[in-house]
Amino acid sequence: MNTIIQVAALCYKESLRHKILYGVFTLSFTLMFFSLFISGLFMRDILKIILDICLSAITIGGLLVPFFMAINVVAADINQKTIYSILSRPVPRYSFIIGKFLGLTYLSFTIMGILTGMTLLTLWVASFLFQSHFLQTLSIPTVVMAIVMKTVAIMVLNSVALLWSIVTTSSFLATLLTVSTFLIGQTIEDVVRFISIEHVGVTFSPIINITTKVCLYLFPNLSAFNFNQHAAYGLPIPWLEILFSSLYGFTYISSILLLTVFFFNKRDLT
Amino acid sequence: MGASQVTAISCERVTKTYRHGFLQKKTKPALNDLSFSVNSGEVLGIIGPNGAGKSTIIKSIMGFIKPDQGNITINGIHSSNLESHAHIGYLSETPCLYKTLSLKDHLQFAARLAKLSKKETNKKIEEVIAKVDLPEAAHLPIGRYSKGMTQRAALAYALLLNPQILILDEPMSGLDPLGRSLVVDIIHEYNKRGNTILFCSHILSDVERICTRIGIMHEGRLATITSPTELNNMPELKNDKTTHLETLFLKTVKGTL
Repeated sequence: MNTIIQVAALCYKESLRHKILYGVFTLSFTLMFFSLFISGLFMRDILKIILDICLSAITIGGLLVPFFMAINVVAADINQKTIYSILSRPVPRYSFIIGKFLGLTYLSFTIMGILTGMTLLTLWVASFLFQSHFLQTLSIPTVVMAIVMKTVAIMVLNSVALLWSIVTTSSFLATLLTVSTFLIGQTIEDVVRFISIEHVGVTFSPIINITTKVCLYLFPNLSAFNFNQHAAYGLPIPWLEILFSSLYGFTYISSILLLTVFFFNKRDLT
Repeated sequence: MGASQVTAISCERVTKTYRHGFLQKKTKPALNDLSFSVNSGEVLGIIGPNGAGKSTIIKSIMGFIKPDQGNITINGIHSSNLESHAHIGYLSETPCLYKTLSLKDHLQFAARLAKLSKKETNKKIEEVIAKVDLPEAAHLPIGRYSKGMTQRAALAYALLLNPQILILDEPMSGLDPLGRSLVVDIIHEYNKRGNTILFCSHILSDVERICTRIGIMHEGRLATITSPTELNNMPELKNDKTTHLETLFLKTVKGTL
């Protein structure tokens, strides 16, 4: 356990010093700041506009970790040989993977925490700028819960990015595969729903049906963690839905990490 | 059996073939039935041309590469058992430290892994930083170091826990004469305390200066293994243009020995 904690702490410390973090924070803060002005241009749905922009900014900030950090922490470790500094010590390979994943998780928590704080600050400023009836549907617990579930989605993507960076030998390919996983994960539920609806005069070939079903089981269904609409309209999120989505997320993460450890144990670190 | 006869590292019939290309159909043999041992307290230097398999055998000992066949033990423990790593200090060919972290961060990480107390950690860190002569740079990110400083920092990382066995892959690469002399002094001092050193290098003069035994690797095998004394007593290697070791090396590689 000590080895996992130490690898996680090292990964967190190292990731925090990447300059890319500052760029994304600046972009996210700017978006949130401008959401106050942009929302003023709309006569209605001011809260929805603010929350849409803030939650998008949080998504951008959160996706930084799987798209840039998660791939780099392992692929760059292998390419730049920094992995030797850890594995030359009595650190099992599974500790390396789980430690890296936990380090990235701490980093995601930090980023999401700061951006959540900024969102709440934006909402607080909005309460002074706009009349109270524009913000009457605001439910802070729902907003926070939507962000928490977004964090689970980011954790899922972190685990997937780790898997791709172990399976492939190029960080470009790993990035491409992670982005593809994200895009498939975002849309697969809609595609399956669309195919399952009976369309007059249209029949889908069995290959399409099978392919989408396989994708649904293989790729993470990221729509399961998307509660943006609930947050934007202040709708309560059913606890059972949160429970099942979280269970799905953590089961998926565990399976992916197991696979990653399996492949990593087989890999030669030349 | 004397203390110097105890085997620190043993490689028995180690074979490794790298696979690459589409569906990993292409193969490149790296180690070919390689056997040797390093006795406790000795300094074994391995030299060889590029692609001879020097780094591959070191990485196999460290467990970074899994040999296809053969058996590697460290202090009698199989190299796949992590207990064997507890007594090893390793320095890789390219310094393997994180550029955004400082030397102190790295040393603290190693100390925490070994579960040292805070007092012990600080003491060991101060000692090793002084040994590699980096007291002022210890707080700076490694990315701001020169190549020589990075190499010394990596050596400090390897030496922190006073390992019984030191494995060095090209420890002098990128070092200026001053840096090289410092590393040589450290290796000498370290060996005087009865520790074992296995290292590979391209710089034959360093190998001659430091090692108690020298092995020449060629095509994945240890073609020759000798001591500097034996080497100097070989009249057939006498040559005006090259040293005994250079002649032996060239003859071994060209197959004219």
